[in-house]
Amino acid sequence: MSEHVVVAPLVVALVTAILTLGTRRYPRGQRAVSLLGIGAYAVAVLALASRVVPLGVLTGSGGTTETLTYQVSNWPAPFGISLVADALSAFMLVLAVAVVVPALVFSALYVEEFAQRVSYHSLFHFMLAGVTGAFLTGDIFNLFVWFEVMLMPSYVLVVFYGRAEHTRAALQYTVLNLLGSAVMLVAIGGIYATVGTLNMADIARRLAHAGEFGIDPAPVLGLGAILFAVFALKAGIVPFQFWVPAAYRAAPAPIAAVMAGVTKKVGIYAIIRLLFTVFGTATVGGGLAPARIAEGLGFGMAGKSFLGLFGPVLFLMAIGSILLGGLGAVSRNDLDDILAYSSIGQVGFIVLALALAATGPQAVRTAGLIAALVYSLNHAIAKSALFLISGTVYEAVGSIRFDALGGLSTRRPILASSFFLGGIALVGIPPLTGFFGKLLVFDTAGKAIVAGEPFAGVALIVALAGAVLTIAYVSRAWNRAFWGSPSDPVTRSYQPTALVAVVAAFVLLVAVLGIGFDPVYRAAEAAAHAATDRTEYVEAVAPEVIG
Amino acid sequence: MSSEPRPTDGDTTVIARTITRVVVPIIMLVAIALLLQGHNLPGGGFIAGVLTVTGFALIYVIYGLRYVEQELLHRTVVPRSLPISEGAAETDVDPPIIKEFGEIFTVGLALAAASGIVAMALGFPFLSQGVWFLAGVPLYGHMEVASALAFDLGVYLVVVGGLLTILAVVGAE
Repeated sequence: MSEHVVVAPLVVALVTAILTLGTRRYPRGQRAVSLLGIGAYAVAVLALASRVVPLGVLTGSGGTTETLTYQVSNWPAPFGISLVADALSAFMLVLAVAVVVPALVFSALYVEEFAQRVSYHSLFHFMLAGVTGAFLTGDIFNLFVWFEVMLMPSYVLVVFYGRAEHTRAALQYTVLNLLGSAVMLVAIGGIYATVGTLNMADIARRLAHAGEFGIDPAPVLGLGAILFAVFALKAGIVPFQFWVPAAYRAAPAPIAAVMAGVTKKVGIYAIIRLLFTVFGTATVGGGLAPARIAEGLGFGMAGKSFLGLFGPVLFLMAIGSILLGGLGAVSRNDLDDILAYSSIGQVGFIVLALALAATGPQAVRTAGLIAALVYSLNHAIAKSALFLISGTVYEAVGSIRFDALGGLSTRRPILASSFFLGGIALVGIPPLTGFFGKLLVFDTAGKAIVAGEPFAGVALIVALAGAVLTIAYVSRAWNRAFWGSPSDPVTRSYQPTALVAVVAAFVLLVAVLGIGFDPVYRAAEAAAHAATDRTEYVEAVAPEVIG
Repeated sequence: MSSEPRPTDGDTTVIARTITRVVVPIIMLVAIALLLQGHNLPGGGFIAGVLTVTGFALIYVIYGLRYVEQELLHRTVVPRSLPISEGAAETDVDPPIIKEFGEIFTVGLALAAASGIVAMALGFPFLSQGVWFLAGVPLYGHMEVASALAFDLGVYLVVVGGLLTILAVVGAE
């Protein structure tokens, strides 16, 4: 009965972390173990993904997606911890692989030898284990645990260089996330007290028939809102965005890449899983204040479902993120700063698609989720690549401030073209993945307008404004850092060949995936269906024991 | 037990030192009892580890940081970073005992993970546990051996190693 393929990525990451801890005396051995481990992790994830989403689904030649479950320790469903691998989890895991593999290879070349030996590799793999667990778990308390596993190494990695500004950023990051974790734990406790279970499938099942189980959905809505706020904090969405720039600037470049590319997406994933899978069918009575407000704003019938109530909130957060991130990025004078603010804005686009999905009818819902997932993938790859490029620039020139840069395109053409490719992927020029991400977001907004969703027009305008801001800051970064005549430090710069090779290979992925976009779209489509198909999720986990 | 008064990091009284000598073995015994019964009774690796560390903390507080290394393990201890002056020449290497604490931590993690993987090798899900009932054990009679003990032992070692590292490093500052 045991499908070890589900737990394999998790076990591989954990074992690699422990092995790298054990081989600290032998730096070369440790690095080899670490790189082999990430390779094994990639194989494990791809094996899992190909089981869940067969190749036939990707090529469109037929085949059905599967939802695999795994009961850790062999305890049956609502009591034990379930791991659930559906198309959504598989999509996110593959996204993680696409980012962590280049990031780790980059780290092995980039981070100082001594620092690597002390703790870097084991922290990296522990963080990866946390990310994997968060994507795979089907238990809401277990989700909290994996969040912690993911965050604790990241605290250390943010403070890695240990100077004053890093300590300050890490302190802020740590305190905020500890607060978030504490609040999350309280909310989970509350959900357990009201719903009587921690298994996500079981919660979904019980909330769908709240009356039969004697559950009052109103407190669940409030507790869900608290959970949602915590996830938004992890994802760095306005108004919880303020830790982002300092933390990304402080962390070593590959870690900033993983944080922007992957750990942020864990927040996004948790929001999708919670709102669309777990709370998807839950409704509250019309008498409740938030429902009345939603009705007053014109959300009508939708105002009575949880999703319809979260929709407007998502919408406001998305607008805030897009505008604040975009405007913030336009005025920065440092590559990492621009990228950090840009990642606030880009996550705003993802949330905007989710907001449209939350309030719209089924067709818009699926389209919105697909848009959010494709956008996440593009952002993960492009933004991580850009952070790695920024690290390479720092290595080559010794600074990433615009006043020290300029003219890199003549001195370091490959590096500059990599940045260009990553930049226009953010902007969304065909045939890169970024184009399809933006296109799908606009398309969703269009569909929502046709469906008569309130504010869908505003969404379209904000998305357009955000796109213009993206063009503005990307071209500004390009002009200041890469065009013009070479500055003194740039003339004196050297070529870190290996690093440049890694980032160039990595950034080509946005073009490859963009040209061969069909399978990506089909994978996102399968994931979107998995996110909204509660029956299959619940049946796969089958928490039938207690009525 | 040497009868001469020994210079310690701080001045602790004879009473405190005597009581520590009596109490620490009891603490250790309780910790081991908690560890062994943890799989189905109150207790477990974590709490046993914490209790063990309190025992060590007591020794550290009463007898000073170097006592464990010098008197219990009979090592020569290189004074580390105490005179902060001319810090440039000072060795930046951790004292050996901290390295050993780190190894305890690693071994514990490996043990806990391995106890889960063994279950997979036997065809059960990750972290599955079993129990053997042994009858007719000499002296003891009936006995239960739970595989969860291996996991608990791993947790115990992680907690002991981690907390002692923190104590030793922070204590040295």
